[in-house]
Amino acid sequence: MSYLIWALLILAPLLLAGLSQAGGAVAGRGPQRTMWLWIAGVVGFAALMIAPHLVTYSQQELLVFLVINILIVASYRLLTLTGEFSLAHVVIVGVGAYGSALLTKQVGVPVPIAMLLGAAIAGLVAFILSFPLFRMKGFYFLIGSFAAGEVIRLLWKRFREPFGGPKGIKLIPEFPGFELFGIPFEFYEPVTFYYFALIIVGLSLWLLWRIENSRIGLTFHAVHWQDQLADSLGVNTRRYRTLAFVIASVFAGLAGALLAHYLGTINPNRFDVDEMVYVLIWVIVGGTATLWGPIVGLIVLTVINEVILRELNVDELRPLFYGAILILAMLFLPSGLETLPRKIKERFSRDKKAADAVELTTSQ
Amino acid sequence: MAMRHLNRRHFLGTSAAVGASALTGVGRPGKANADNETIKIGFLAPLTGDVAAWGLPGLYGCEIWADDHNTMGGVEIGGTMYNIEIVSFDNEYLPDKAKTGATKLIKEDGVKFIQMLGGDTWPAVQPIANREKMLVSTLLPSDLSPDTPYLVAPAEVHPIYNVTGVWWMAENMPDVKTTVICGQDDAIGRPSVATYQAAFEAHGITVNDTIFFDISTTDFAPVVTSMLSSNPDCLCLDTAYAEFVNELCKQAYEQGYKGKIISCTADFYADIIANTSEEFMEGMIFQFPDFDDPALNDPRINFGDPNGFFKTYNEKHPGEWGAVSWEYASILDLWLSGAQKAGSVEPEAVLEGMKDGGIGAHAFGEANWWGEELFGIDNALVGNWPVVQIQNGKAVIVEFKSIPDWWDQHKDIMIKKFEDMGEMWYQRS
Repeated sequence: MSYLIWALLILAPLLLAGLSQAGGAVAGRGPQRTMWLWIAGVVGFAALMIAPHLVTYSQQELLVFLVINILIVASYRLLTLTGEFSLAHVVIVGVGAYGSALLTKQVGVPVPIAMLLGAAIAGLVAFILSFPLFRMKGFYFLIGSFAAGEVIRLLWKRFREPFGGPKGIKLIPEFPGFELFGIPFEFYEPVTFYYFALIIVGLSLWLLWRIENSRIGLTFHAVHWQDQLADSLGVNTRRYRTLAFVIASVFAGLAGALLAHYLGTINPNRFDVDEMVYVLIWVIVGGTATLWGPIVGLIVLTVINEVILRELNVDELRPLFYGAILILAMLFLPSGLETLPRKIKERFSRDKKAADAVELTTSQ
Repeated sequence: MAMRHLNRRHFLGTSAAVGASALTGVGRPGKANADNETIKIGFLAPLTGDVAAWGLPGLYGCEIWADDHNTMGGVEIGGTMYNIEIVSFDNEYLPDKAKTGATKLIKEDGVKFIQMLGGDTWPAVQPIANREKMLVSTLLPSDLSPDTPYLVAPAEVHPIYNVTGVWWMAENMPDVKTTVICGQDDAIGRPSVATYQAAFEAHGITVNDTIFFDISTTDFAPVVTSMLSSNPDCLCLDTAYAEFVNELCKQAYEQGYKGKIISCTADFYADIIANTSEEFMEGMIFQFPDFDDPALNDPRINFGDPNGFFKTYNEKHPGEWGAVSWEYASILDLWLSGAQKAGSVEPEAVLEGMKDGGIGAHAFGEANWWGEELFGIDNALVGNWPVVQIQNGKAVIVEFKSIPDWWDQHKDIMIKKFEDMGEMWYQRS
C-alpha cells in the first residue's frame, strides 16, 4: 500500500508537469486538458492527504522532510527562471533556519512569528548579496554565489556566539502544540507537522505559481531568454534578477525555518555544498520548464534513495545505484523527468501513426 | 575515530567487497539457534558519505560480534536465550536522516538499544530517545549533558584519552619541548584541540601555534608549511580525519620534517607509510591499537579474544580495520553484561545494570562511570587507555595509562581549556 502512495505522489506532479508544458504538449488544449488537470490535481491532493496514514513511521518522517524539500526546490526554480543557477540556495535555507532558531531561543519570539521573520531575514540577506553577485552573470554568478554562501557558512562556524560554532544550535523550540475539540496537536509528531508543513508549502507553491504567471514572472522569462532585448525595451534586468533571487530566498528561508523547528537542531554542515549538490540534482533531473519538474525530480530520487534502496537493505551501495540512476536519467531524459509524459505520448503517437500506415498499406 | 572521506580507491574497494559478499554470502552471519528469541540492536551511524569510516568498520565489528555469540548458541539474559540481530540504518551523518533512522529502529524494528557515532546527528535523536526512554550509546562524550539521561559513552571517551599520548611522550621523549597543533574546525576537532592544549601545558610542552582548518580543505601544503614555520619538535594532528592525517603526514614528509608526530588516530597507517616512508613514520604516537597486539592478551583486558577478533575481521574485511572497528563491538560487550546483570533487555533496566556500582568492564580494563565535572552527567566510562606507537611499520601498544589519574592531577587545566574553547557542557547552545 505504501508503494501505491509513493507511486501516486510521483504520478500526480509528473502528469501536472506534462500538462503544464508549453503548447499543451500532453493533452492539447481546452476541456480535455482541463479535465486531466483536475484529475491530476485531485489524485495528487488525495494522495498527499492520506499518505501519512498509509506509510510506516519512518516514512512519515520522510514525508515531512520531503514536503520541506519541495519548497526548497520550487523556490530554487524561481531563481532559475531568470537563467541564473546559484550555489548559495541551501545556505539561504540555513539563514532562515538560523534566523528563526535564534529569534526563538535567544529573543523569545513566538515560533510562528520567528518563522516568518526567518524567511524575511533570508530575503534580506539575499538582497544584500545581490549587490556584488549581480554584477556577474552565468558561470561567474555561480562561482560568486558559492563564495558568498561559504562566507556565511563559515561565519556560522567561526562565531560560537550567537551561532553555536561548528556544533550549531540545539534544542530549538518546536511549534507550540494546542488542543482543538479535545484533540491534541503535538508538532513533534510527524503526522501533525506534515499537515502543518503541507499547508505552508501548498500556500507557498500557489504564490510561486501566481508570481510565475504574472507580468513579473513573464519578465523573469524575458530576462532569461532575451536579456539584451529586454534591456533595450527599458526592463531593468538586474533589478528583476535581484527580485527573483530575493523572492526565492524568502521561500527558501521559510523552508529552513520549518526544518529548524521540526528537527530541533541545525549546524553549518547541514547547509554545505554537498546538500546544494543534491538540490541541483533534484532540479536538473526533474527539469525546470515547469513548476512541477523539480518536484518530480525530488520525489522520484527521494523515493528511490530513501524507500526502495533502503528496503533492499543495500545501504553501502546506495551511492552507486544513485549515481547510476542519475547517469541514466541524464542520458535518456536530458531535459528532465518532466518531459517523460510528452515522450510517452509522442511514442504512442508514432506507434499509432505507424500502425495506421501499415493498415493503410495493407488495405490498398 | 577514523576518517572523513573514504577516498575513491578505498570506497570502490569497499563497495566491491560488499557487493561480492552480498553475492557470494561471504561475511554473512553463521547459523544461529532457531529456538532462541531475538533481540534487535540498532546501528545508527554513517555508512556512506563523508564520515562513513566512522560507522561502516564498526558495523562490520558488530556483525562479527553478533555472529560469534549466535554461533555459540546465543546469549542468556534473565533465563531466556536470545540471538542478537544488528539492524543498521545509514544516517549519512545528517541530523534529519538520523531522526528518521531512530524512528524506524525504535518504532518499526523494535530495537532495545541503539549504537550511534554521535556528534552532529545526536541532537536530532535526543528528543525521541528521551521520549521513548531508549538507551543510546555514542563515541563522542561531548554529546553528554544533564539532558541526556539515556545516552552513554561506554567505549570511547574522546577526546580525554588523548592526554595519555602526551603524558607518555613527555616521559619518554624529553627532547620534545615545543609543538604545533592543527585540527579541523568542527565538533570533533575543537574539543580535541582543547584536550591537547591542556595535556601539553600540563607536561611542560610549549604550544607554538594552533591552526584550525575547514573540513572542506583538500590542499594541506599551506597548513603544514605554517606548522613547520616555528620549527617545532613535534607536530600534533589532533583528531583529524584519517584522510587528513594521511595528507598531513604526506605533506610533512615532502616538506622535509624530521621531528615527532602525535595524533589521535593513524587509521590505515600502512597507506600513510606507503605515501611517506617507514623511517618517517617511525615513533609516531597515537591512541588506537591493532587488536593482534600481544598486550591485549593481558587478563585485565575485557574484550573477548581480541587477537581472534582481529583475525576474523581481517579475513572478512581485509584492509578495513580502523579505530572504530572494535569500539562498537566493545559497547555490545558492556550492553550484554548490563543486560545480564539486570536480567532484562529493556533499555532502562540495562542502563541500570551497566552503571551498577559506578564501575564497568571497559575494553581496556575496569573503569569508572564518570563525567559530571566535564559533561554534567556520569555517563562516560573512563579508565585506562593505550598509548600506541608505530615501530618498524607496525602499531604497538607501548603502555596503558590511567585517564582518571591524569584527571585528578590536571583537571583544572583541562576545564580551563575546555571553557576557553567553549566546549563545557554548560556552554553548549
